[in-house]
Amino acid sequence: MALLAQWTMRPPLLAFLVLATLLAGCATRPPADDPEALAEFRQTNDPIEPFNRTMYDVHEGIDRVVLAPVARGYRAAVPEPVRTGVRNVLGNLRSPIILANDMLQGEPRRAGDTLGRFVINSTLGLAGILDVADTWFGVPGHTEDFGQTFARWGIGEGPYLFVPVLGPSNPRDLLGFGVGIVADPFVWFGQGAVVDALTYGRGGITVVDTRESLLDPLEDIQRSSLDPYASLRSIYRQRRQVEIENRLNDAPPAATGTGFGIGTGADGQR
Amino acid sequence: MTTTNRRATLSLACALATSAVLAGLPGLPAWSQTDVSRAANFIQSTGQALVNAINDPRPSAAARREQVAAILRRAVDVEGVGRFILGRWWRQATPPQQQEYLRLFEETLIRNLAARFGEYQGVRFQLGRTQRRTEDDVLVNTIIERPNTAPFALDWRVSEVGGQPKIVDVIAEGTSLRLTQRSEYSSVIQRNGGQVSALLDAMRQQIQQLAAREAQSQR
Repeated sequence: MALLAQWTMRPPLLAFLVLATLLAGCATRPPADDPEALAEFRQTNDPIEPFNRTMYDVHEGIDRVVLAPVARGYRAAVPEPVRTGVRNVLGNLRSPIILANDMLQGEPRRAGDTLGRFVINSTLGLAGILDVADTWFGVPGHTEDFGQTFARWGIGEGPYLFVPVLGPSNPRDLLGFGVGIVADPFVWFGQGAVVDALTYGRGGITVVDTRESLLDPLEDIQRSSLDPYASLRSIYRQRRQVEIENRLNDAPPAATGTGFGIGTGADGQR
Repeated sequence: MTTTNRRATLSLACALATSAVLAGLPGLPAWSQTDVSRAANFIQSTGQALVNAINDPRPSAAARREQVAAILRRAVDVEGVGRFILGRWWRQATPPQQQEYLRLFEETLIRNLAARFGEYQGVRFQLGRTQRRTEDDVLVNTIIERPNTAPFALDWRVSEVGGQPKIVDVIAEGTSLRLTQRSEYSSVIQRNGGQVSALLDAMRQQIQQLAAREAQSQR
């Protein structure tokens, strides 16, 4: 996550994104005498669609050459139980952030679940490799992030954004993503070359693990949708709403709280 | 062990306050017993028929797909779903375009679903909670289990159409199929200058690709 984040959130790139957003042509707003078209325009919430589509194409290019092949290689080379262990460790490392957000949202029961899971899985679960809190105690994990907390605090999502590598997002969730990295104790824990290597390693593995979990669902969208960009946008926004309202009972993706990590109703992603 | 018990055990193990963990089970919504149980029974029997067809080892892949398609045609309100998905463009389409759209939509939907379910060999499903959503909609939760894959939630929206319960939407992990597809189709039409014919062309092309893939998988 850290690698992805530091790459994505580096000031020059962020400034470029903002500038490009301002310079890019905006989507044509339908005329006022077409209320249905106007309602759909508001519903879709993508006023900078032309810019977003360009970013989507950029992402597709990166994905085709780097992300997807690496994820496929990872799936082919690493046996499934090992990949599950890796995913469990990543999810366990996210626990402090999930716990903080459970509490910031005033959810003592979910906070209790997260804390209990962290304690149990870090010890009995051999540093998070085994999710014994789920398998032995029947307490499955859930996902939380600062974007969801901001939403619960009443902050609007803002216009839809597509960020290369990160995936579908919006200003609120992008900010939440940044806060999530800064607030992550494991990013600040210790210093020196070994710690740096671990932090970057975790970031890199998170990217690969996330992309691997999305191989099937994204392929499915590419294959079955007449407009994958529009499908992804719709899926992301619906899915995000369900997550904010805590209506999903299934376990969290180990990955990030925005973008592809949650965007696609990941098949088999736990 | 019930969920509550297991939660309590964990809390004990962690020396956590159990009160927070046990607090507040969500209240059940008011429902009308007959309709809800009828919808649940309908999904139970349709789901069982689908699972049997998918797991039947005897017929060829093509025959199996045809069986799945036949069950879906009976169970899904294809016309209602198709009209919902075309949304505001339905009235802008000419009557022949509407007819053509419904024909293409049925073929796309059935082929897509049949192809997807066809890959689910070894699938099992469990009926979960059923709840009334609106005056005429009932949501039936199911959990789909496949070998070597984490189980996932699939919810079925059931509505009475002509006195019969019919599937009007499938919700996978919180994502509604008909809402997603409405977005997709509307985007195709908008990006082609508001021409419904552009969508029909794209759908025709997609059906050709699907058919080609089916022919390939048979070999």
